[in-house]
Amino acid sequence: MSRTILFPTAFAAAPAVKPMVDEKYGSAAQIMALPPAKLVAILKDPSASAYAKAKACQKLAVTGDKSAVPALAALLTDPQLSHYARFGLEPNPDPSADEALRAALSKVKGPLLVGVINSIGHRKDPKAFSALEKLLHDPDPNVSQAAAAALARIRPAL
Amino acid sequence: MAVGSKRISRREALKTAARCGPAVAFPMVVPASALGRGGATPPSDRVTVGGLGIGNRGAYVLQSFLAQNDVQFLAVCDVRDERREAIKSMVDQKYGNRDCAVYSDQYEIWARKDIDALLIATGDRWHAPLAIMSARAGKDVYCEKPCSMTIEQSRALADTFLRLGRIYQAGTQRRDGHNCIKVYELLKSGKLGKLQTLHAEAGPGDRWPPLTRHDWLPAEPEPPKQVCDWDRWLGPSPWRPYNSEYVKGRWRGYFDFHGGGILEWGSHTVDLCQWAGGLDDTSPVEYEPEGMGSDTPYTIRCRYANGVKLVIRDKGFLGLGSCHFRVEGDAGWAETADGGKVVVSENLRGERFEPAPDTFKNTTTNHVRNFIDCVKSRKQPSSNALAACQAHITCHAAYIAFQLGRKLRFDPATDTFIGDDEANRMRSRAMREPWRL
Repeated sequence: MSRTILFPTAFAAAPAVKPMVDEKYGSAAQIMALPPAKLVAILKDPSASAYAKAKACQKLAVTGDKSAVPALAALLTDPQLSHYARFGLEPNPDPSADEALRAALSKVKGPLLVGVINSIGHRKDPKAFSALEKLLHDPDPNVSQAAAAALARIRPAL
Repeated sequence: MAVGSKRISRREALKTAARCGPAVAFPMVVPASALGRGGATPPSDRVTVGGLGIGNRGAYVLQSFLAQNDVQFLAVCDVRDERREAIKSMVDQKYGNRDCAVYSDQYEIWARKDIDALLIATGDRWHAPLAIMSARAGKDVYCEKPCSMTIEQSRALADTFLRLGRIYQAGTQRRDGHNCIKVYELLKSGKLGKLQTLHAEAGPGDRWPPLTRHDWLPAEPEPPKQVCDWDRWLGPSPWRPYNSEYVKGRWRGYFDFHGGGILEWGSHTVDLCQWAGGLDDTSPVEYEPEGMGSDTPYTIRCRYANGVKLVIRDKGFLGLGSCHFRVEGDAGWAETADGGKVVVSENLRGERFEPAPDTFKNTTTNHVRNFIDCVKSRKQPSSNALAACQAHITCHAAYIAFQLGRKLRFDPATDTFIGDDEANRMRSRAMREPWRL
């Protein structure tokens, strides 16, 4: 009996448009197949594209160790790549990832600061408590609300 | 209808005003429908609904909402103007007026105190964050599946709805399909004997590959924000350059937006298995993938703590339609899919089940009806937040095992993988600023 698809929906098993390929580092799959040390090298390469760095960050989320933290932390102030840096840092089990995020609190503003606060909240970093308490009074309501949410995650109500 | 509050209903206000007589005399013409005459549901007994991101699938579900006499659809919100206008046109045509409001910012629809519930049918990337924020805004939610992008989102979804006492119905409508209920009842009746193995069909690998892509499509000029707000379309997902292919619906198959074939159909069929097996409050403790290296066939063999097995696979079912699920006990088996027929083992031939006409559409309507009834009664609906959470955690864990290509052990009490750091790091994803759970 043939398979009956009763409610077909649009899908993209294979894209109709050819995906981007980085001139220096190749396709997303090729970049993400690299070992952590080479992914870190991409992050440090000033000539690497945002695409290559973004894919490196996403792979380092799973494979990166302490040695990946400084290169990821350096991107936290990059408007285009700050989220990708957090993507790589947030699940990194090394405590230096907490230190990097805490240090970024004084380096970024606006939406990027909200993102950094959100990542600190996700990691439930108790050492960030006093810094977040100060941000409760930030004039930007998005920042103060993010700080409140992070504090609630770090020390939830009894 | 002001659900969950002591606000005086319009109907009560009318009665009170009538009793007060001249003291509050004012000219008033009350249509019969407003008092519930002529078979109409009075406004005070109607559930008021809005929509977030209503595309093709959402419009299909919306038909079932509009078919309910005690539902009033008031507003739609979408980042794309053509979708906003298409849904407004559909709703206005149904009611014979021009009243359906349109918004491009979800905060505007959350601010509408007169809206009780929301239908969420955006792309998968937005499902859990929007549902959680909607609950915080005091709304009940019917949300399309897959309901989450990660294990963490799945748990946050259930925790939020349970803590706030809001009603959540996942768009896993097959739980209210007569054929699936027949299989459920066969197992519960004992006719299949003791449960041994559950089988869930995953998206066929030749159409829904189990692994997703990390590519970006080439950049195209972004359309004006009022035509398509690309930043809000991306929402919590990582930034990438605009390409119209995504917006046309071809966002599936990309890691940032989609969970591949396992989530695409597993969110239905794994959900059915856990429901039938009485496993709505847990997830398997082992996941062993097979078939890595090609799109099809693929299998993930899972085992629950009570010894029951779950086989998630894309091949080998009976060809009864899409989204098969099969239940095997030590005395017999039953299998069904979207064609509606229930096929059983030889010893249970008297239990065969033939579908009624329009079974598939009726299934969605039954599911919407169940949601509306629960919005009114405050009872838990058939695909409630906890059941959806656990079924999605199972799918995500299976997806992670397939991506890593190795057997994983899982602790359902803590939502953690045992002894596998990489797997644990895949349980969540950082959301793009300013979004958070």
